[in-house]
Amino acid sequence: MATFLARRFLWFIPVLLVVALITFVLMKAAPGGPWDRDPEAKQVDPRTQELLARQYGLDKPAWRQFIGYLIGDVDKEGQFVCGAVCGNLGPSYRQRGKTVQQILFQPPPEKSFFDSKFGHTLRLAVLALAFALVVGIPAGVFSALRQNSWIDYALTLITNIGIAVPSFVVAFFSILIFAVGLKLMPVVQKSWAGITPFIIPAIVFGFGTMAQTARLMRSTMLDVMRQDYVRTARAKGLLEQAVIWKHMLRNALIPVITTLGPAVAGLLTGSIVIENIFGVPGVGRDFIQSIGNRDYSMIMGTTLFYVVLILLGNLSVDILYGVVDPRIRVE
Amino acid sequence: MSRRNFVAISGVVIAASMLLAACAQPAAPVQPQVIRETVEVVKEKVVEVEKTVVVEATPIPSEKPKVLRINLGTYPDVIDPQKSSFVNEIAHLKLIYEGLTKLNEKLETVPGAAEKWEYNADATELTFTLRKGLKYSDGTPLNAKRFEYSIIRNINPATAGEYASITNEIAGAPEWQGAETDEDKKKFEEQVRQSVQALDASGQPCKDYEQEDCLTLKLKLSKPAPYFHTVMSLWVTYPAKQENIEEGGENWWNSSKFHIGNGPFILKSLEPFVKGVFVPNPNYWGDVPKVNIEYQYITDSNVAFQAYKNDEFDIIGLAAEDYQAVMADAELSKQATIYPGSCTLALQFRNFKEPFTDPKVRAAFSYALDRERWVKDVLQGLGSPALTWIPPGFPGYKEGETRFAYDAEKAKQLIAESSYGSVANLPTIVLTFGDTPRNRVRYEWLGARFKEIFGDDLKLELKPVEPTAFTAKQKDRESDLQMFIGGWCADYPDPQNWLSVYFEGSTTFANRIGFKDEAFDKLIAQADVELDPAKRAELYQTAQDRLVDANPVAFFWHNVNAYLVKPWVKGIVTTSQDADWPGSTVPATIDIDTSMLPN
Repeated sequence: MATFLARRFLWFIPVLLVVALITFVLMKAAPGGPWDRDPEAKQVDPRTQELLARQYGLDKPAWRQFIGYLIGDVDKEGQFVCGAVCGNLGPSYRQRGKTVQQILFQPPPEKSFFDSKFGHTLRLAVLALAFALVVGIPAGVFSALRQNSWIDYALTLITNIGIAVPSFVVAFFSILIFAVGLKLMPVVQKSWAGITPFIIPAIVFGFGTMAQTARLMRSTMLDVMRQDYVRTARAKGLLEQAVIWKHMLRNALIPVITTLGPAVAGLLTGSIVIENIFGVPGVGRDFIQSIGNRDYSMIMGTTLFYVVLILLGNLSVDILYGVVDPRIRVE
Repeated sequence: MSRRNFVAISGVVIAASMLLAACAQPAAPVQPQVIRETVEVVKEKVVEVEKTVVVEATPIPSEKPKVLRINLGTYPDVIDPQKSSFVNEIAHLKLIYEGLTKLNEKLETVPGAAEKWEYNADATELTFTLRKGLKYSDGTPLNAKRFEYSIIRNINPATAGEYASITNEIAGAPEWQGAETDEDKKKFEEQVRQSVQALDASGQPCKDYEQEDCLTLKLKLSKPAPYFHTVMSLWVTYPAKQENIEEGGENWWNSSKFHIGNGPFILKSLEPFVKGVFVPNPNYWGDVPKVNIEYQYITDSNVAFQAYKNDEFDIIGLAAEDYQAVMADAELSKQATIYPGSCTLALQFRNFKEPFTDPKVRAAFSYALDRERWVKDVLQGLGSPALTWIPPGFPGYKEGETRFAYDAEKAKQLIAESSYGSVANLPTIVLTFGDTPRNRVRYEWLGARFKEIFGDDLKLELKPVEPTAFTAKQKDRESDLQMFIGGWCADYPDPQNWLSVYFEGSTTFANRIGFKDEAFDKLIAQADVELDPAKRAELYQTAQDRLVDANPVAFFWHNVNAYLVKPWVKGIVTTSQDADWPGSTVPATIDIDTSMLPN
């Protein structure tokens, strides 16, 4: 296990390097720079742009900027400043005075980590995932056990909506229904403290994942139900409960777990639409804006962080396999 | 999609829309209540009559402060007076701080922290005298030394403020920013320190921030600049405290604790991306505002609109997409607040590129712009046609300009008269734009109109590019841009900011389109240093006339600011500079009629 983990972690390095290089090349190839603005906004004076470029080291050759970002470079005073390898994701060019890691992870004064931007995104994603699993798995199992019943049709209908309707439509409808119609919440939250304000955004956000989980669960359950070992279990007189929970569910869960890794990563990194509509102060909004803004270090830093999340997500799935099915337990 | 899925989805959509329709019903009106009472009539006969009385809720005098809730849209990147440059950032700063001068509701420059100012004979020196006994919101004294610090901090290349160049008239400022060697840096820093000086009653440089008689601020300018007192109303001069900036580090502006200002409001709390709360500043020298202000930062205009209808906001921006729906609604249409903005947009030609090297081709495209229809069909009424540069509401605006007004026949005739002889002989013309859904509609309309007027022989190509890439192309004189829409928004209300800053032959803007007209340059050079206001205005007027004649760009439309404001918000006085929210230039007049508030 230890060697397996060590090997997997070592693999992170080349993956991150390649992603960093591709991101860097693409972002530098896009015309414009951090001081170029939306065409409808006022532009920055050219002399000031020069000053800013010099201050942030954007006047250096590209290779040096790249190495400097990843490993580090000497600053104006001749001091070595460590780069991404030390967790320093660089200064944001737009949100001046803040580093990327501060933007992502630093909570406001006297607040906890969960009140930082990533903290908000994390709360949203965890709740959405919980919703997706707690509702999706039983719904799939139930559908399969009662195949072709009215309840199966009803659940199929809901899951089809979850897959077919884009999240911004669901989000907007939920605002109209829960906020404008039923007045269960305000359209615009005044505070994001605690869990309550996240509940409806998380349900909307997790809706698609829930639907996918339920559909996958249903089809693999149907598959498993017809396996010989299930027939054997029934034949040897096991209780129906034991057949379902011990023999069918555990086997049917494997494909679901496979999709969980990407799903978790997707929930953590894909909340931009939900954040925008519900006004959640998370990282998704910043990330998308940073691309239009050419906020280079913000793009690099957030991308690398997302890659780490995806890698960790996949790794934990590999470990989870073993828990569910000892046959594929890693050596 | 399978048939079953389709039926399923339709079913849900129908159910959802029914639910929506149910939600959208207006709240029930106040029901007339029927009261039966017994009345004595003269004939000593007792009868029962029915009386209809409308019962109205008596307003309960509220102890709660009046709060004006505004959706500001995007959360600021920086809230630092010497680094900010976006409207949403300045919207915060101008509540917390105040400059030496300020603008009034007519966009005239009036005393702010300074009670008066004076130029020397040739307008190369400007002396401000501060009001006596000025205080910050925390009660500490505010003297001229504070402004000296702010103005120098704005110039200092180490600050690298995005609007630093706006004070470049101060002697030594551009040199300090451009200095390469340490020696030059020191030399020009010293010059700037000599050019910006806080003086006490005896005319000696002030010692510290506590000195009470330090009320004079003297500025030395590198050229005559009789408009410079207006520049001193801008946010770059706002006196944030040095000790707070130093204690808070580069990130000081993130905390309301360090934003101690001299403006009409105090920043009470700032929760990034969620909420900013402002309360009136009792230590403000002028009229103390009557309401608290709450900013929120919702970027999705649909959501903001729903929240407004749900009474969660008092003021929101009115998106062009919602304009028709609002105008069709009896209630909402009364709440629409629309007034001229501070920008002019123009169809710009690279005058040094074929075929726009020929003035007749430029003129033809100017005549071909049906500005009225553009405003009506494309902008949905949110704009006004422009035939001149300085927009309405700003000093220097010329009413009744008619040159280059839409005339399709003349447009065709001019192409025939041009060096190309006919439309078919024109080279391919590329119209480049920032690729957004809104722009696609706009530019397709424009391209179709040009084809309609000039015929199918016109080789016109629409070229959408990613918005930031479009900005980069605009800046680069060598880029492939040929024809595009670009404009200018006022920094401060003075013709100098429109004519000299944008069209003077050596400026970056004029250079990018390739405009240089000696007669025009001469006129504005004269106007810039003219001390007599009437004569100065006249010179600028002549210069603008000359500019319209030269037609380096085709003036297209002036923007408007459009908002929805709840009926209980009273006393809003708008100016063209209020691009953040209506009434932001003179917030002290705003009040809320609590008797009208919904329960």
